[in-house]
Formats: sequence, structure tokens, C-alpha cells
Amino acid sequence: MNYLDAKSAPAREDRLKTNIAFGGTCAQIRGCIRAGCFSGKGCLNLADRRFAETQGCQFTLSLAILNTLRNAVVIMHAPIGCGACSIGNVGVNKTFKQLRDPSAEGVVWLSTNLDEVDVINGGERKLREAVLYADREFRPETIIVANGCVPALIGDDIDSILADLETQTAAKIVPIHCEGFKTKVMATAYDAVYHGILKKLTKKPERQQYLAESDLDKIREQYRISRNVNVLNVSSMSRQDELELQRLLNAIGLNVTFIPCYAEPEDFEYSLESSLNVSICGTHDDYFVEHIRENYGVPFLIDTIPIGRKNTDRWILKIAGHFGLEKEAQRLIEVENRLLDESLKPFRKVLAGKRAFLAGGEVRIVATAEILQDLGMEIVGFKAHHFDRFIEPMFDSLDNVDDVVIDVATNQPFEQSNLLNRLKPDVLITHTGGNNIYAKHGLPILPLFGPSYNYMGYSGVFEVARRLNRVMRNCQFNKKLSRYTRLPFRKEWYEKDPFAYIKNQDAV
Amino acid sequence: MSKFVDRPRYACALGGALATLRAIPRVIPIIHASTGCGHNLHNAINPGAGYLGGGYCGGLALPSSNVAERDVVFGGETRLKEQIASTLEIMDGDLYMVLTGCMVEMIGDDLDAVASEFEDSEKPVIAVHTPSFRGNSFTGYELVLESLIRRFIPKQPQKEPGTVNVLGIVPAQDVFWKGNLREIKRLLERLGLRVNTFFGEGETLDDIRNSGKASLNIVVSDVYGIEAAREFEDIHGIPYIVTGFPIGADAAGEFLLSVADALGIDGSQAEAVIESEKQVYYEYLERLADIYNDLDLQRYAVVVGDSNYAPAISRFLSDDLGWLPELVVITDFLDESQKNTVAGRFDNFESGVRPNVRFDTDASSVRRYMAEIWPRNRNERYYDSMSPAVVVGSVYERDLAERFGFPLLTVSFPVTNRVVLNRAYAGTSGALCLAEDLFGILAAGR
Ligand code: SF4
Repeated sequence: MNYLDAKSAPAREDRLKTNIAFGGTCAQIRGCIRAGCFSGKGCLNLADRRFAETQGCQFTLSLAILNTLRNAVVIMHAPIGCGACSIGNVGVNKTFKQLRDPSAEGVVWLSTNLDEVDVINGGERKLREAVLYADREFRPETIIVANGCVPALIGDDIDSILADLETQTAAKIVPIHCEGFKTKVMATAYDAVYHGILKKLTKKPERQQYLAESDLDKIREQYRISRNVNVLNVSSMSRQDELELQRLLNAIGLNVTFIPCYAEPEDFEYSLESSLNVSICGTHDDYFVEHIRENYGVPFLIDTIPIGRKNTDRWILKIAGHFGLEKEAQRLIEVENRLLDESLKPFRKVLAGKRAFLAGGEVRIVATAEILQDLGMEIVGFKAHHFDRFIEPMFDSLDNVDDVVIDVATNQPFEQSNLLNRLKPDVLITHTGGNNIYAKHGLPILPLFGPSYNYMGYSGVFEVARRLNRVMRNCQFNKKLSRYTRLPFRKEWYEKDPFAYIKNQDAV
Repeated sequence: MSKFVDRPRYACALGGALATLRAIPRVIPIIHASTGCGHNLHNAINPGAGYLGGGYCGGLALPSSNVAERDVVFGGETRLKEQIASTLEIMDGDLYMVLTGCMVEMIGDDLDAVASEFEDSEKPVIAVHTPSFRGNSFTGYELVLESLIRRFIPKQPQKEPGTVNVLGIVPAQDVFWKGNLREIKRLLERLGLRVNTFFGEGETLDDIRNSGKASLNIVVSDVYGIEAAREFEDIHGIPYIVTGFPIGADAAGEFLLSVADALGIDGSQAEAVIESEKQVYYEYLERLADIYNDLDLQRYAVVVGDSNYAPAISRFLSDDLGWLPELVVITDFLDESQKNTVAGRFDNFESGVRPNVRFDTDASSVRRYMAEIWPRNRNERYYDSMSPAVVVGSVYERDLAERFGFPLLTVSFPVTNRVVLNRAYAGTSGALCLAEDLFGILAAGR
């Protein structure tokens, strides 16, 4: 894979043939993969909807990652509204950064505020002013320029403006091309961000060369690198998740560096002094790790996400396998499983047989379902943001899901609402957003992820069990809402096939 | 010529339009834009407005055409037509408003032509051009009102004396809008008026439909809602007055007097209302006599906010609480004449205090102005600092407040560190809430 000569990363519907509109069963969707329906010529590649609800764009998802970078200022090259979602990040961002570095500052961003005049004349002047102001006022290490739809449509030559500006700024400038209208697969954002990082921030660190370096020092340095892995974190992870994964890898003798979220820009340089890049989730990282392998020879691992027992076992074993540490890993897994299994017993008693629906990122929902099955719960439905080849290995850890419904939809609460109404689950585990609708179904809801809760590793299994038990003990709040407030969808909608508005659905 | 903005305190025209529609029951917005705009704006407005939430059909439930590059080839119009038709099938509403984002305006989609194809649908479909580059949230509020006034509200030649509309409080952008409207309405009802606030408790689309009957529009803002009031005057022949945003008993009194004056209501009736409002007001404030004076709770203040809140809060602090608002930063996009009007609100505080007023949209500027207006400590042995002080602003002022060790009360958008339901700061009862919250943070450690 090498896209780095291009201005920006390709859209995922092209690169990975990612699908965002599908309705069927798990067995059907796996059949479709095998039959090639998702391939370039396949009937599902560009499937879409006749009715749609707002779904998010790669610009805003890019911000979710970019806002976490420490010592950086983000410039949103766009009209005043694009990226206003960072408002929701103002408070928590600083707290989360300070968990990694107590002196970290909160997120700072500037909007170039493109208006009607700029739409005609171009946004160059404002972009220049914003960059120079950011450099003077905040003295950041890095200035990140993320552009929305408007400059892309005006045809601003952002890269050359920024290259020129970089000669005048102390900060390094990183362009991120993430205009929303380019793709309907929001996750293209990860590629867009990594594209910018790969081009500007990853290069071999300049280490001081000592005239006389003892062999011992050299060996020590090589040993350090040979035991170092980068774990690619995601902004939906918590610090507790990181600490748990670190604990597990330390236990088999490996050191861990977390990138990209909450990293310092220069951490990307040091990240090249590593023996393995470990992805948490294929949805996030394949673009980055493939390019790093290609350009710097660091191998990578994309397999499963360490959520749920079997997935965590598998994740550790795969990493251990790379270093010949299988024996250590086996021992660790045994001990961890024994302890955990004991702790789950009381929850199994209460939760066994309860029916759950899961909605969110493709990898995450299927992995989280493993926890539920471990607790004896029944999976009645999935809704995945999108669908591509990274979901395949995830199904391995589940039993009996062939007939379970899966809806592929980025958000689209109308479909989920229809499904909830049909399937009547006892609990919903769902991505943030859309709960103004789901709460009115009157059922308990557990967020699928949360940057201040632990979901990953063995401790994550216990935490999810414990919290599920808690939310299911009392869901009066949602129940009352369902009684006294109304859903916006017409009665007739609930009588229709939930996938009735998908175009190209005939394939199933 | 406009410039970049350091951490804007508003969303775009589309965002303002969505927030405004969010405040009207059973209106269904249909966004004609790229895939991200609605989601992005919800994630700004929800937390920024004290966790307003998506409500009936907002948030991720917002219908949106989600046009992408691949649709652009054929223009977005076919897609929009399909989306309007399917929205009418699925979403249960009484009015459907199509709002545009930047991208479709730039590729030249003919929104009005598409919308007009739905003229005969059972429920009205109205199109509004709201691209982000047209302005900020306040613009969006005006654009929605303008469309309603021109295309939805029927003309009523016969006006009802004693019926008034209230304009100038922008939903979500004024985080306490709903509580504030309730209080403004309460005050006006005390004058015996029938009041329509468009977005108030228990009000519906029908109240908006009937707003053409009003005999006066009251704009409680020097800046927002004036466009709409002019529109009302042009199209429906309803005159308007501009009163400014009242916080505190004196301000509420002046507000009532100017309304009474415009409607030819007997001044003594208004005086009696004001008198009884003041009585209640001071009955409560009297409670503070002890703690205020026991503990010397007079404070300097830094006020950062929009053109409604900044002058109103400063005056309340200065004239009712006897505090010292030294620096006021007003964060809207304003032209020169608007700036002059708003600045004029600071001229005649009864206390004689004259705050330093600055107009600036950038979050980072506030700190600079602090250094400008107050002499710095040059290691003097005896330094008269601007302390103790309180910052009344948005959540963006948190760093500033922390740096100086001042407590912060967040009042102006964005307010992400509070949850707001029916609280109000306007009028007399609102001013009491404000006093509660201000002294509350001073007492918090006790
Ligand atoms: S205009 Fe484009 S970049 Fe901006 S929020 Fe909308 S889709 Fe995203």
C-alpha cells in the first residue's frame, strides 16, 4: 500500500469497498463477503438509502483524533459551523490529556470562518492569518490544518499555502484533508488523519550519535527496541483500558507505547523504534500500519480487538507469537481466566437468558457480544456503522449467531428504532448519539464505549458485566420517558420492513 | 471584512436554524447537505446548550439528504426530492423545513424548485437557505423566522389589542432560553397581555401560525430578532419596540414601562406591577444582607458573553449586587452601529461604575484585555490587584478563571459544565436565580 504521494487518502468505499447499507442475517452477510457482493463490481459496494438521517462526516471524526494530540493547535479551514462539535470536547479533553501529562493544555482550535466573500475569492488570506496567529499566540509544536467541504469546493491549494507558511512558523504544519462530502464512510477519517501524520510527523528520530558507544549500550538499545510494541489506541478508549492492556503486555515482558491518541507529536518519531505495531481494531489502523511497514519495515498485527475473554486471549497470543513468548502468554491467560471466571459467576446468575441488541462500530459490537455470550445472554441483533473485511475474524469468537439480524447503517436511528420495536431486547448496548430515540423504547441502555470506563482486557469484561447488571436493575428513567414522550416516526414505519429504504437491497 | 475566530461561541446559520426548529414542537427539519453537518451541529449544540439533547427528532434522527461527491455529478436535486418524499412518509410532523448546507449551495442546487414540487403535500414543506458561510447561529435564527413570517404565518388584517409576540431570545444560543421566555411572558401577562414567545412552555405551531394577530412585537435584544421584527412589520403590519434584555428588578421595571407605553397601557397599572415585583425581589435579596456584609462578598467581575447577556448581567452585578464589573467582552459578530448600540447600554449604570467594554470574538483575547485594563504586578510590595473577582462567561473562560484563581459561573454559550433545564436568568425571578448561583459558588466551600 502506498498512497502517500497522493494529496489525500482515498475514500474507503474505493479502497476497502466498505459498505454502509445492508440488512440481513450474520450468515447472509458472511455469504455476501464470500460471493463478492462487497467488491468493486459487487452489488453492495455503493448501496445507500432513499431515506437517510444525518450520519457524521470524516471531518468531525478526524477531529476526535486530532483534538487529542498534545501541544497542538487545530485550525479548521471551513465556514464557522464545521467542527463546532469540538465544543463538546472542551472540558473532558483537558482532563483526559492530563491523565497522560499533568501539565497538558486543553484543546485549542481556530475556525477560518469562511464567508460568502471567501466562497468566491478563496480562503487563502484567512488561512494565512489563522496559522500565523496560532503560531504566535499559542506557540504549539504542531499546527494541524483540517479542511472541510468549502475549501475543497473552492479549490484552495492548501498544501502549497501551508508549505510556504511553514517557512515562517516555529510550529510544524500538518495538513489533514478530510472534507466531509468526499466519502460516506466516516471511518475514512482515520486514513485522512494518518495520511497527514505519515507525511509530516513520522520520520526516524534524530538521536545523538556518540563517538564512542560501548557494545553494551548498543545491545541494550537493540534489546529495548526488540521488546517494544506500539499499541494503536483509539479516542473511544479510556486510560483504564490502556493501563489494562499495558499490564497484560508487561506481564509477558513487552514494553508498550500508545499512539496516536493523546500522544505528543514527536512520539510518532520514537514510535518507529519499535518491533511491532499492534492494532486494536482494523477499522482504525490498517492504513497507518501498512504504510509504516512499507516505509520503515516495522511489522504489524491486525486481528481482533481485546474485548471479551476469547478475544483478549487471542490478542495476547498473537502478539506473544510474534516474539516467541507463547509459553509466558499461556500462563498469563490461564491465571487471568481463572480469576475472571470466578468473578463473573454472580452476574451470570442474573444476566443469563437476557436478550441484547448491539449497535456501533463493526469490530466493537461483535467483540462485545462475546462478553454477553460469556454471561449467558442472548444476542438478538446487531447494527454496524459500516461493513468491510475486518469484521470477518471477529465472528470466530461467537456461537450461534448465523440467524441473528445485522443492519449496516451509520447511525440511522429510524432503522434501529424499527428493529428494537420488532426484536424487543431486554437491553441495548449502543454507540453514543441517537439516545433521544432509543431511550423512548423504555429499555436499559449501556454505552458501547466510554472514554472514562474500562471495556478492554480481562478487567474490562468484569466492568462490563458489573455495569450491565447495574443498568438492568433499574431503568425507570427510560421507562417513564417512553410513557410520556413520543417517537417521531409514523406508526406505518414500524409496520414496514426495517430495510425497506435501502437501495440495492435486492441482492440479499 | 471578517476574520478567523479562535474557538467560536456559536455554530453556523444551519446550526442556528436547527436549534430554532428544535424549539418548536412537531417541526421536522430536512437537511440538504453533506453527511456530516447535522451530526456535527448536534454535537455542538447539545453540550454547548447545557445538554439540550436531540428532543423529538433532532440529533442523529435529523433527516438529511447526505449528498456526497458521487451524488454531485448528477446534482443533489434528485436526491433531495427523494429525501423529502421519504421524510414525509416516515416522519410524523406538522411542518417540514428544508435547510441547506454549504456544499449544495455551492454546486447550485435549485432548492426552491424542488421544494415547490411539494406544494400540494398534506403538511407544508418550506425551504430555507442556511449555508454555514452565510453567518452564524444568530443568522440561522433570523432566517428561520423570516421564512415562517413570509411563508407560514397567514396575514391577519384584524389585530388583537393586548396580544404581543416576543422576539430576540435565540434558542440554544441562549442556553436558558426557555426559562427566560417563561419569565418574560410572566411579566408581560401581569400587564394583562396575551403573549406568544414562539418557543415557550406549552406553545405550539398553532401559536406561531396565529402570531400575525399580534398588535406589537417586543424585541428583548439590541441585536437579535430585529430582522424578524422588521419582516413582521413589512408583511403583517405589526409594529415593534426594542427593549434590551432585562435582568434585575430595575431592568424588568423599565422593560414593563416601555411595553406599557407602546401599547398605551395606563402607566399606573405598570407601576403597581413593578412595585409588587420589587417587593418579592427584595424579600429574597434581603436574605443575603447578612452573608454579603458579614463576609464582604462584594466582588470584581469579568463578564464575557453575547450582546444580550453581557450588558444585562453587568448592569445587574453593578446596580443590584453592588459588584464591580471591570471588564466586559462581547463576543458576537457585530457591525459598527450594532456595537454602538450595545456599548450604549453601559453608559449610565446607577453605581457610576464604567466597565471596560471590548468587542472580540476570540477566546484567547480575554486574557490580553485583563492585562490591558488592570496594571500588572511588578513585584510591588503593595499591589492593588483586581481580586477577589468572579468570572461570568462561557466554559471557554475556565482556563482564564483557573489561572487567576477566580470562580467561574458559566452563563453564555457554550455551557458544557452544567445541565440546564428550566432555569431562567431574565427578569426578576431570573435575577434571583443568578444571585443564587453567584453567591452559591462563593459559598460552595463552606
Ligand atoms: S460542511 Fe462538510 S466538513 Fe463541514 S460539517 Fe458538513 S460535511 Fe462536515
